[in-house]
Amino acid sequence: MVFAWSRRKAETVGHGQMLVPVRCEPEVVRDAEPPTIDYQLLGQWIGFADLQRHTMEVLRSEIERTSELVEDSTLDLSRRFRELAETAREQSHRVDEIVAMARFVEIDGIKVPLDELVTNMQQIIGEMIANIVNLSKKAMSMVYLLDDVQKDVTELEKSITDIDGINRQTNFLALNATIEASRAGEAGRTFAVVANEVRTLSKTTSALAQRMRDKITAVVKGVRQGHDILRTIANTDMSPQMLAKERVDKTMDSLVDQTNHFQTVLEGTAASSDELSTVIGRMVTGMQFQDLTKQRLEHVADSMTVMSGGLEDLVARTRAAIPDHIEIPFPQEWIDQLLGRYTLTEMRQRFVRRLLLEGTALDEHGILDVSTEPTQSSGGDVELF
Amino acid sequence: MDYAIDIKEQEALVRLTGRLTFNDHAKLRALIKEMLQNAAKRQILDLANLEFVDSAGIGMLLIAREELSNLDKQFILRKAGGQVKRVLTVAQLGKLITIEE
Repeated sequence: MVFAWSRRKAETVGHGQMLVPVRCEPEVVRDAEPPTIDYQLLGQWIGFADLQRHTMEVLRSEIERTSELVEDSTLDLSRRFRELAETAREQSHRVDEIVAMARFVEIDGIKVPLDELVTNMQQIIGEMIANIVNLSKKAMSMVYLLDDVQKDVTELEKSITDIDGINRQTNFLALNATIEASRAGEAGRTFAVVANEVRTLSKTTSALAQRMRDKITAVVKGVRQGHDILRTIANTDMSPQMLAKERVDKTMDSLVDQTNHFQTVLEGTAASSDELSTVIGRMVTGMQFQDLTKQRLEHVADSMTVMSGGLEDLVARTRAAIPDHIEIPFPQEWIDQLLGRYTLTEMRQRFVRRLLLEGTALDEHGILDVSTEPTQSSGGDVELF
Repeated sequence: MDYAIDIKEQEALVRLTGRLTFNDHAKLRALIKEMLQNAAKRQILDLANLEFVDSAGIGMLLIAREELSNLDKQFILRKAGGQVKRVLTVAQLGKLITIEE
């Protein structure tokens, strides 16, 4: 037997043009005996074709459902991805801002680059130490100077004592001269005047020496006090303060190092965020596969509709061609096989409902005992068997 | 602080030991006087055994340098270590006095 595909108008389903097999009998068998027709087999075929038609309709509606599910989910995913990309871009901007700020320190409203700040600080401390060194030198020079002044003042005190000695001697000589002059009588009168003058001079010198001694004592006291104060100043060790520069330098270096490290890390983070947003953009573009999938599934569903229509037409025609008493058996075995493959309860229920509309009994599968409501588990109702 | 002077022709090597602080100012003045009076052109202070120097000590070293310089004598600090080396470095004394390792 040979079949060829010929184009003819579908009458029963009205789904446009369709291909139906038309039997082309070869010339050689035209005069032979007509073949005996197995009506039982045709009855079986009708039963199976009916099931096939319903199955196709169920599958077509499943494909449509699936296509819708994919579409909804894809749109939702695309939206979320776009949000994610936007967030990544914002994050990148914020990190860029932090990177820009990390290089500066704001002092009195003026942005100072960190390295400049460190240099300034080190310069200030350097100047401070230079001042300490300079002051230490000046203080020690002063100490040495006052050491010398003290020695000189002591010399001075000694000189005044010497003057006192000379004075006592002068006074003694003048007294002697006065005595000698009075003994000389009239002849010594003039000499007595001179001797008296010398005594007066000696007294004046003595008073002067005393005044000098008083002043010198005051000066010595002042110098000693100054010396003591200066010693206290010079004795205050500033070397720990000088050595603090080491600590400050290390701290500053660490600060700069740490800031540089932060900057590197943050720049890396900004780059990652940018990359992330680019990748997400590509993912959103990539999700356009859904359009293609939808179109393909529509084609598949359309083809199934056409095939289903064809089957319906053929079943009707075959049914009309066979005698009425021929029994059309229910294809229980195939149904069992089909149902055995549906691992999703929901889908199995929809399939059974579809068949039940046609008045078939499927109670032995116990499917209708299960609630038709979707299971409580949210999201995909995937059941694993 | 204690010191010992070893004069060899043009070079006077002064070894300092202990701690150089303000309390040593009289002793250091005597040392400066000796360095001024000896004939050597190069006065070298060996600080290897000097444990500590305070800010007054730094001041006194600068006075020594100034006074020696007035007599065209060279003043050199040598072998400073520990706290002494750190203070000399921080004070940037190397800008004013020749410092040798």
